[in-house]
Amino acid sequence: MVLVFIDHDGKKPKKGGLEAITRAREVAGALGVSVAGLVVGSGIGEVADEAKKYVDTLYVADAPEFADYTAEKWTAAAHAAVQKTGAKAVVAPASRTGRTWTARLAARMDAGLLEDVLELEPSAEAVVAKRYTFLNRVLEKQKAAYPVVISIKPNTAPLAEPKGEGQVEALEVALGELEQKVQVLEKIQEEKKRVSLTEAPVVVTGGRGMGSAEAFKLVEELADLLGGAVGATRAVVDAGWRPYAEQVGQTGKTVQPNLYIALGVSGAVQHQAGMNKSKVVVAVNKDPDAPIFKETDYGIVGDVHQVLPAMIEAVKKLKD
Amino acid sequence: MKFVAIIRQVPDGEAKLKEEAGRIDLSGATMILDQMDEYAVEEIIQLKEKHGGEAVIVAFGPERTKEAIRTALAMGADRAVFVRHEGDADPITEARALAQVLKEEAPTVVFTGGQQADWDSYALGPAVAEVLGWPSVAWTTRFELLDEHKAKAKHDLDEGAQVVEVALPAVFTTQQGLNEPRYPTLPGIMKAKKKEIKEIPAEELGVRGAKVEILSQEIVQIERKQKILDGTKEPEKAAEELVKLLHEEAKVI
Repeated sequence: MVLVFIDHDGKKPKKGGLEAITRAREVAGALGVSVAGLVVGSGIGEVADEAKKYVDTLYVADAPEFADYTAEKWTAAAHAAVQKTGAKAVVAPASRTGRTWTARLAARMDAGLLEDVLELEPSAEAVVAKRYTFLNRVLEKQKAAYPVVISIKPNTAPLAEPKGEGQVEALEVALGELEQKVQVLEKIQEEKKRVSLTEAPVVVTGGRGMGSAEAFKLVEELADLLGGAVGATRAVVDAGWRPYAEQVGQTGKTVQPNLYIALGVSGAVQHQAGMNKSKVVVAVNKDPDAPIFKETDYGIVGDVHQVLPAMIEAVKKLKD
Repeated sequence: MKFVAIIRQVPDGEAKLKEEAGRIDLSGATMILDQMDEYAVEEIIQLKEKHGGEAVIVAFGPERTKEAIRTALAMGADRAVFVRHEGDADPITEARALAQVLKEEAPTVVFTGGQQADWDSYALGPAVAEVLGWPSVAWTTRFELLDEHKAKAKHDLDEGAQVVEVALPAVFTTQQGLNEPRYPTLPGIMKAKKKEIKEIPAEELGVRGAKVEILSQEIVQIERKQKILDGTKEPEKAAEELVKLLHEEAKVI
C-alpha cells in the first residue's frame, strides 16, 4: 500500500493534500497497490467524509490530543498508519510542518527521504524524484529504494479528483513519553485576509524601495485587484513594515505563482531563492542595474511611487 | 550545562555554481558557514554566556568543513567535534552519525539550521532528534531556557506560530529573527586556532553510502524575456504598456 497524508483546514482537504494524493496514486500505480489516506486532528469528521472520496481506505486519527500539531504526535500517527497498512511509501505535502515530521518518520522507518519533490518517476523497485537544491538553483534527480518517504512541493502536482467512497477506519495511535515532551502553550494565528502566499496565483512583493509601511497600502491594493497575495523581502520584515509570514526567500516562503511582481526589490540571491521559479516575473525598480532585472520578464525602470499607482489605474481600466 | 550547534559548510549563495558532467562542481566556489547555522552558533554562545557551561560545535562533511568550524569557534564556541566524510551524504545518513556523537556529548540543548542551503532540506534537525528519541522544534524564532530540564520556544508553522514548552534534551532548528549572529573578532580568530577540533572518520560511526542517491544535477536558469521599459520620464505610459503586455502577451492578467 501507499499511504498519503492529507492536510486539511478542519473542514476539508487542503490543496497540498490533493496534490499529494495525485503523486501517491502515481507511486501506487507503479507498485500495483491501493492508496490509503491518513487524516489527523480533533473533531475532523467533516474532513474524513470528504477525504474518503479520494482513497481506497482512509485512516482517521481523531482525538483531543491531536488538536495541536507537534512533530512527535504527527510522526506517531503516520508511523501507526504505516505499521497498520505495511505501506512501502508515504507521501505528504511539503509544507513547513510536513517537511519536519516526514524527516522524523523517514528516520524511524529507516526509509529514504525525498523532500520537496517536483516530479516523480516511480518503478516497482525505487522512486526517482526531481527536486531543487542549492537555494533553488539546481535541478537534482535523486533516487531512493523502498521504503521511501516523499514530500510534494506545493503547486507542482495537479489536484486529485475524487473517485468514489473509500472505507473509513479509526486509527488508534499510542502516544508515549516522547509525544508528551512538547506541550503547546499558545497558538498564534496568521492574519488571513487574502489567499495564502504559497498557493496564490499572483504574488505582489514590496521591497525596501517601498520606503515605508504605509506605502504597502498600494501593494495590497494591487494584490487585491489581481486576486493575489502580498509578499515582502527580508529587509522589509526586519524593518517591521510587514509580518514574517509574508517574507519570500531563503528563510521565508518559496513561491511559484503564475505572476510575481517585485516592487522596489533589489533581488538578492536569498530573495531569488524564494521566487525564481515563478512563471512570469515583473519588476519595478529605479536602479537599472538591480539584480532583479536579470530575473525579470517585464520590467520598468522608474520610481515605484509613480509607477505603482499608474499600474493600479491601468489594471482597473482593463477590468472595466 | 552543555549547548551544541550542528553546522555545515555550504557554497555562498552569491557564488557562481559550475556544472561538470551532470554534477555540481564546488571546487572553485566560495564556501561559508551556512547562514541558518550562524543563528545556531550565536544562540549556543549566548546560552553559555548567560548560564555558564560549554558551547560545542558538531559538524559533518569533507575536510574543508574545518574552515566553517574555525569560523564558529572564532565567534566564541569552545571546541568542536568533526565527523569527516568525503562523498555524497543525505540528511538522514548524517543524522545517524551525528546522533552517536551527541549521545556521547549528552548536551542540554542542540541547535541547527532550519534549512541546509546546499540540500535545500529541512530534515537534519528533526532526524537527529528522532534517532536520539528526543523532541524537536523547527523554525524557532524565540528561545528561553527555563532550567536544565525545560525550555520555552516560539516557532513558525505553515501559517502562524506556536509557543511550546519542551522537555530537554531537545533539538531546535533556527529561523531568522532568533538572534543577530555576531562577527568573529580578530582576537576571536586568533584564539580559535588553538581550540580543539576532535576528528572522527565517518566510517568509525558506521557511515557507508547514502540512502538517497544523486543521479544528476543541472543548473537551472529560467530564460527571462527581459523586456525592460523606461518609466523615468513617463511613468503612466510605461505602467499602461506593462499592463498591456501582461494581458495580451503574457496572458497572466
